[in-house]
Amino acid sequence: MSVKSTVPPAASPVRQMRYLKPFRQRVGEALSSYTARVLLQGLFTVFAVMTFTFFLVRLMPGNPVDIKIDQLMQTQGLTYEQARSQAAGLFDMDLNAPVGQQYLTYVQRVLRGDLGKSILSAGTPVADIIWRFLPWTLFSVGLGLLVSFALGVLIGAAMAYWRGGILDNVMTAVASILYSIPEYIIALLIILVAGVQLQLFQVGELRGGFNPDVAPGFTLEFIGSILKHATLPVITYVLATIGGWILAMKSSTISTLGEDYITVAKARGLSERRVLTAYVGRNALLPLVTRLSVSIGLVVGGSVIVEELFQYPGLGRQLLRAINGRDYTVMQGIFLIIAISVVASTIIADLMLGWLDPRVRVGQKATKG
Amino acid sequence: MPNDVVVSVRDLSVSYLARRGRVRAVNRASFDLHAGETLALIGESGCGKSTLNLALIRQLPKNATIDSGSILYTRRDKSVVDVLKLNKAELRRFLWSEFAMVFQGALNSLNPVIRVSDMVYDTAAAHGLNKAAAEKRALHLFEKVRLDPYRVFRAYPHELSGGMRQRVLLAMSLLLQPQVVIMDEPTTAVDILTQRSILDVLQTLREELNFSVIFISHDLAVAAEIADTIATMYAGDIVEVGPVNEVFYRPRHAYTLALLNAAPRLSAGAEELYSIPGSPPDLIHPPPGCKFHPRCTFATEVCRTVLPPLVAAEAGHQVACHHTDDVVTAYRKVSRA
Amino acid sequence: MTPLIELKHVYRHFEVNRQRLPVLQDINLSIAANEIVCLVGESGCGKTTTGKILAGLLGPSSGEVLIEGRPRASYTGREAALLRRALQIVHQDPFASINPAHTIGQILGFPLQRHGMVRSRAELRRRIWELLTLVDLTPPGDIVNKFPHQLSGGQRQRVSIARVLTVNPRLIVADEAVSMVDVSIRIGILKMLHRLREQLNLSIVFITHDLALAKYFAWDGRIAVMYLGRIVEIGRTPDVIAHPAHPYTRALLAAVPEADPELTRHKQHLELRSEDIPRLTEIPPGCAFHPRCPFFVPGVCDTRVPPLEPPPDYNQLAACIPLVETGRLIPYTERVNPDGR
Repeated sequence: MSVKSTVPPAASPVRQMRYLKPFRQRVGEALSSYTARVLLQGLFTVFAVMTFTFFLVRLMPGNPVDIKIDQLMQTQGLTYEQARSQAAGLFDMDLNAPVGQQYLTYVQRVLRGDLGKSILSAGTPVADIIWRFLPWTLFSVGLGLLVSFALGVLIGAAMAYWRGGILDNVMTAVASILYSIPEYIIALLIILVAGVQLQLFQVGELRGGFNPDVAPGFTLEFIGSILKHATLPVITYVLATIGGWILAMKSSTISTLGEDYITVAKARGLSERRVLTAYVGRNALLPLVTRLSVSIGLVVGGSVIVEELFQYPGLGRQLLRAINGRDYTVMQGIFLIIAISVVASTIIADLMLGWLDPRVRVGQKATKG
Repeated sequence: MPNDVVVSVRDLSVSYLARRGRVRAVNRASFDLHAGETLALIGESGCGKSTLNLALIRQLPKNATIDSGSILYTRRDKSVVDVLKLNKAELRRFLWSEFAMVFQGALNSLNPVIRVSDMVYDTAAAHGLNKAAAEKRALHLFEKVRLDPYRVFRAYPHELSGGMRQRVLLAMSLLLQPQVVIMDEPTTAVDILTQRSILDVLQTLREELNFSVIFISHDLAVAAEIADTIATMYAGDIVEVGPVNEVFYRPRHAYTLALLNAAPRLSAGAEELYSIPGSPPDLIHPPPGCKFHPRCTFATEVCRTVLPPLVAAEAGHQVACHHTDDVVTAYRKVSRA
Repeated sequence: MTPLIELKHVYRHFEVNRQRLPVLQDINLSIAANEIVCLVGESGCGKTTTGKILAGLLGPSSGEVLIEGRPRASYTGREAALLRRALQIVHQDPFASINPAHTIGQILGFPLQRHGMVRSRAELRRRIWELLTLVDLTPPGDIVNKFPHQLSGGQRQRVSIARVLTVNPRLIVADEAVSMVDVSIRIGILKMLHRLREQLNLSIVFITHDLALAKYFAWDGRIAVMYLGRIVEIGRTPDVIAHPAHPYTRALLAAVPEADPELTRHKQHLELRSEDIPRLTEIPPGCAFHPRCPFFVPGVCDTRVPPLEPPPDYNQLAACIPLVETGRLIPYTERVNPDGR
């Protein structure tokens, strides 16, 4: 019999108020400040990349402008002054101005959405090139990544769930092999084995984004043609990335399955489906979301060789052309786009993580008692 | 004993398949749990108490098997269920509505990405209880465990302190009015004052709701406070079972005695304590005879060869020791010295 | 006599998420040679930070650390190196503090060689044997070639104590050193620490949240009770345990269950006014315990920070203004409702 003093455990209305109101406010504030912070960080990164690219083009020893001037002097027999002024016209910038001022002009233009003009196809605005080729890359890479992520997560989770089973053993080997092969090798294998050896398709027919005989338009035929032409690059992207997703999801799911809250959820009599989705799946997915953002960004840049191999009219192929032809304004523009896509995907992943994981929203700050 | 046994465990054996061989985690464990009773299973880490608990709710890891025995559960309507014979769907409905549990480590027992309310709704949905009724009952229970019900109901686990989370788990375990709640070290890893409030809350809840508790702990002091019955486990065996005062004041097993002699008491002034020599045995190749004999001061030849059976002594006291009488006299000497 | 180590007005704060956490405030503590001092308190009270400052792993944000009467900063060069060896810490989890890839012989051998404590292989071997015997890991030949995972928890903790002893320390800070060890084995390690203290003339600072263990271990020494970054009570262990002065110490002692059924069921508990531990970012003004204190005196406890002083009729120091000034504590409820209704 414990004799207790009669002090009530202070549950006064004042105390309730103190908890209820700031609680909602706090979550609201944290969410908005979190979003703001993420966006600001993203803007800063894009700006930093833009600056870096600019000075790289402008200041590297044997810089692109000088190389162009040399080229013009040699090929067209111009004097240095003539070549310089012609190069200046090509680069659409005043080379006599101090570097700082040139940079300011460049930034001002970029802010207005003007990325300058291509050197190779003289006169074509870089923005036009990007708008023309970016959708193809976004479509093929995006579709590939989506399929790969979804399949990889499902397979990885299933492997972890039936750990040690046939699926697990077979897929672990397959995933490890796929994970270790670079995507251009996979693309070459597809072309050589499926296309040339087995004659499953005509490599030549699948060049370009769609069949030029089909009239562009919102028709079944045209859409079908687009899908058909995207098949090979998409398969390549899926095969190249799915191994990573499978292995990551498997290990993440295994560690989640060992958590106490899974045992508790089962002990509470929850249906297997509910346990697997809201308890195992959602928690196991968290570490993969961060990974997803990194790969989205990298794949946009990494599609260069695959697009060239399949002659797919994407941005990666344009980048390769720009590098070969020393089209520096286009390179500058494409690098900017890659930077923006990396940053944007990171922001999306961060926001998704915040949506999936309440702990991130409040900036990792748990109430300690 | 009157016929109010809720859980009757007979000859339950559980083993794990490890790389080195078969780990015999629980050996022929038998005990009865009566309505409203709190049974404390005490023992050190690796003695099999947590395995026994997971076996009771059939949530053993995949590499573990129940080798023998039965777990009979008597419902409120007096119908008897063999827990080990329930199929998957029956087990799912059985758990939590009859047998609930509170895990150690409140930190990890709650799904970090969903709200407390969702966990309540999930549990309700799995047992055909409607949302509104579940919410009402949960809020009522949160208040009972001295939580701010509305705040906690809407909170994410990380927004609650360790003590609050432990009380949330306690309240959640009672959501479906089970007859039995298994508690695995619910006050380990919490601070003294938090432990006190959990113990007080548990006491109040038991008085009001009259459920039975299987309490698993290595902490003799906590067991002394809340248990009606103590069962001591050593190396997978239940070596002594008896009413709490019997076990604490008249221990009959050499291991129980040794544990008591190693437990410091705050109010005892300067006291002489004794460590148990050696370390717990390897459960793959346990010593022959009484498993405690290599560490036991009373051990004789018979202990090295013959496994002592769990036999009734007196006053509901059961013990598996060849030297019960020596243990009783030794304890008198120690405690009165 | 000059204490071995002394903390004077030590403050320590941490910067977490741009918030300033005052983890320690105005800590005054001296530890004599060969003395046992127990730091007790709940998580977040600052006992571990105090231990780290004593062991020299952390510096204070302000205040002084004196070693044998001299500021720590005045120790330079070879003296500083000797000082680092003299103050050692043993952590809670031996698995986290000893390298699992090395044998016990290597774990003990590295510091001996590194600090030039041995001249030859034969001496190294002899010293490792000696250390293992000192921590009761006998016969040493059975242990020396094993890896940490081949030992039991208790044995591992003995290894981490032996490793600390390689450098001949003067002070050992044992931070929850037996919390992860089984009940039956704890007492053996504590007894060994007692023996080492006598044999090697060590001072021991024992950090724990377990009051019964603190009482047992520090019966011949002192106990300091900490709450939210301050020492609220300090004195000889029998005095503090048998006659706790500060309301917080009283609440703690009253809350601890006892391994004795009759005793623990009839124990009188002290109900607090609130169960919420304030966050370090929002430490209440005055006495930090006042919002929870059952003996709260409005206007006194919530305005003045209580200094550590001897209350009348007590042998220890306590930071409680009403007790020190009036010699008694009146429950807040009686103060609010003198008629008891």
